Amino acid sequence: MKKFGCPGATWDLGSAILEGIVRSRTGMVALVTFVLAAAVACGPGTAGRAGSSAALPAADQQAVRLAAAAAQGSPRQVRAQFEQLLGLHALLAVRQMRSVVAAAPDLGQAAGVSLQQNTDALSGLVASAYGSAQADRFTPLWRRHLGDLVAYAKGVAGKDTSARKTARAALLADADAYGSWLAGASKGQVQASDAAAGVRIHVEELMDQADAYAARDYAQAYRIEREAYEHMFTAGAALAKASVTPEVAVGLETPPERLRSAFAMLLGEHLELIVDAQRATFAGQPEFEAAAAQVNANTTALTKAMGGIVGPTKAAEFQTAWANHVEGLMAYTAAVAGNDETGKTAAKQNLDGFAERLGLYFSDIVKNVLAADPLTDAITAHDTHLIHHVDAYAAKDYPKAQQLEREGYLQMLGVANTLVGAIQRTVKPRLPVGGSKTGGGGLACRRR
Amino acid sequence: MTTAKHRLAAAAAALALLVGCSQAGARRADPGPAAASRTPKTTAGGVDAARGFRSVRGYRATPMPVRVEIPSIGVASSLDRLGRAPDGTVEVPRDWEVAGWYAPGPRPGDPGSAVILGHVDSKGGPAVFYRLRQLRRGDQIKIARTDGSAVRFVVQRTEQYPKDRFPTDEVYYPTLTPTLRLVTCGGDFNAAAGHYRSNVIVFATMQP
Repeated sequence: MKKFGCPGATWDLGSAILEGIVRSRTGMVALVTFVLAAAVACGPGTAGRAGSSAALPAADQQAVRLAAAAAQGSPRQVRAQFEQLLGLHALLAVRQMRSVVAAAPDLGQAAGVSLQQNTDALSGLVASAYGSAQADRFTPLWRRHLGDLVAYAKGVAGKDTSARKTARAALLADADAYGSWLAGASKGQVQASDAAAGVRIHVEELMDQADAYAARDYAQAYRIEREAYEHMFTAGAALAKASVTPEVAVGLETPPERLRSAFAMLLGEHLELIVDAQRATFAGQPEFEAAAAQVNANTTALTKAMGGIVGPTKAAEFQTAWANHVEGLMAYTAAVAGNDETGKTAAKQNLDGFAERLGLYFSDIVKNVLAADPLTDAITAHDTHLIHHVDAYAAKDYPKAQQLEREGYLQMLGVANTLVGAIQRTVKPRLPVGGSKTGGGGLACRRR
Repeated sequence: MTTAKHRLAAAAAALALLVGCSQAGARRADPGPAAASRTPKTTAGGVDAARGFRSVRGYRATPMPVRVEIPSIGVASSLDRLGRAPDGTVEVPRDWEVAGWYAPGPRPGDPGSAVILGHVDSKGGPAVFYRLRQLRRGDQIKIARTDGSAVRFVVQRTEQYPKDRFPTDEVYYPTLTPTLRLVTCGGDFNAAAGHYRSNVIVFATMQP
């Protein structure tokens, strides 16, 4: 087996970096489940404005108890977990590769540790969905592809064409190995060639973004990153469906389930793109502008998505409220990077106001199925993750920044699930009932 | 980094600082030495770029549909606007020869399922969607809009469902993918009620 590693990375999960984080495979699944559940339950009294700080210790305490619950998750929960883990995998891999290209070992180490946690959680989920024997086959080949991605990034950083070529060949072989694994694990429900093709796209995207990043074509690098995230997030549905019978799989593709998944993807993406833009602020104008362009692309996609549900007038309202929120986060980031304490205070105050406006907006569109206050609290908790994230990043506390990024991502997916759940409850009664009376002569019947 | 690049970066940073001061005004505090030592080295322009960030705004609604054309079955019709009837069912076009767009739903080209309904026939003969059930995968549908633009869809499949098992979610439920559903009647005719027992539904996706 090829060795998996990255510059300076240590896989000693007992290090200070991982203090407070559950180590075992089942524990990681439980942690993911817990944080997701905690975020989903961000109703009155649970999502305080302190936001993230309580999540990990609580998860620690709950991990063992919830492991069994995670293993017994419904197919829909399994789908949601695969989506969030695979989407996050793509982003973490991107960041680790860029840290290699940019010769930023501290950042790379933090990303590497997060990737290890992500892989552990993914292995645990594979075990719960496909059985532990299949997880034992999955984990080494997944780790191998992570190692090969780092090897590719090293080749890019060192302008070593031969090393890049070798790593590319290894990654394509990894894709084939994954295809064979999934074909077996799914008992033939998925063709090996189809699964391999999906992973080939994934590794090609990760290699392409590393090439673009090294060439300082940041617009291309960040555009590909977003595509890579979306491809992997949506791949979660396929992995979940392959683990159940075709009859059960049909239930994972219902319109309400598709809506939940799509909104979760976009809102999770929002959090992650803000994280990117925050970090890019410290990297210079060209990189910031590339990251910010993707933030705007996400806002456009979210606005269109809202428009499809609430109509154009309410979509325009959403865009204004969301734009204020995003600009508020960027104002805080600029103040941190510019050591502007007055600007930080002002930005925080503005963010509180924007959160309140968004809370009212969301409560209104779901006809008060969700009250405005807990929604405001959930958005404030989201802001708090991002505020603390950029504070930690500016202080070069990269492990903490990574932890906050991960918690923020899970919290955002939880908010998405809660919000879409409320939207689903309000949408259904508004739909037309039954079929349409679009014929009156019987002629179409007689012609047969 | 080479010495020359170092100099260039330093000059750019100094320039950016000046520009930043002039733009942001005096209230922006200069970074003190202690704070600067805690902060990752910022490259020229990042802070100013973040300060100047503007979110996308000015949402422009997709124009409303005004016409449907389906060349393969000879359909070319203007579009009425339809809503929900008091009994909760979907309204249908008043004119047998004119199709209608379900206006509370998405506009064609927006995320979600835009729905267009048309009659299959009247007591007098064929109506606008008489040949709808003949549509097959790959057939083209063009929707013209109020601003003169058009959006095109490609048929994926054509299905028939009993009205009492109408797939409401598949037709009307919000999605984030721009799709089109064409609906008319089909199946057996209930002469006593004066209505067909089934609906024919065409599922189409937007052409990139």
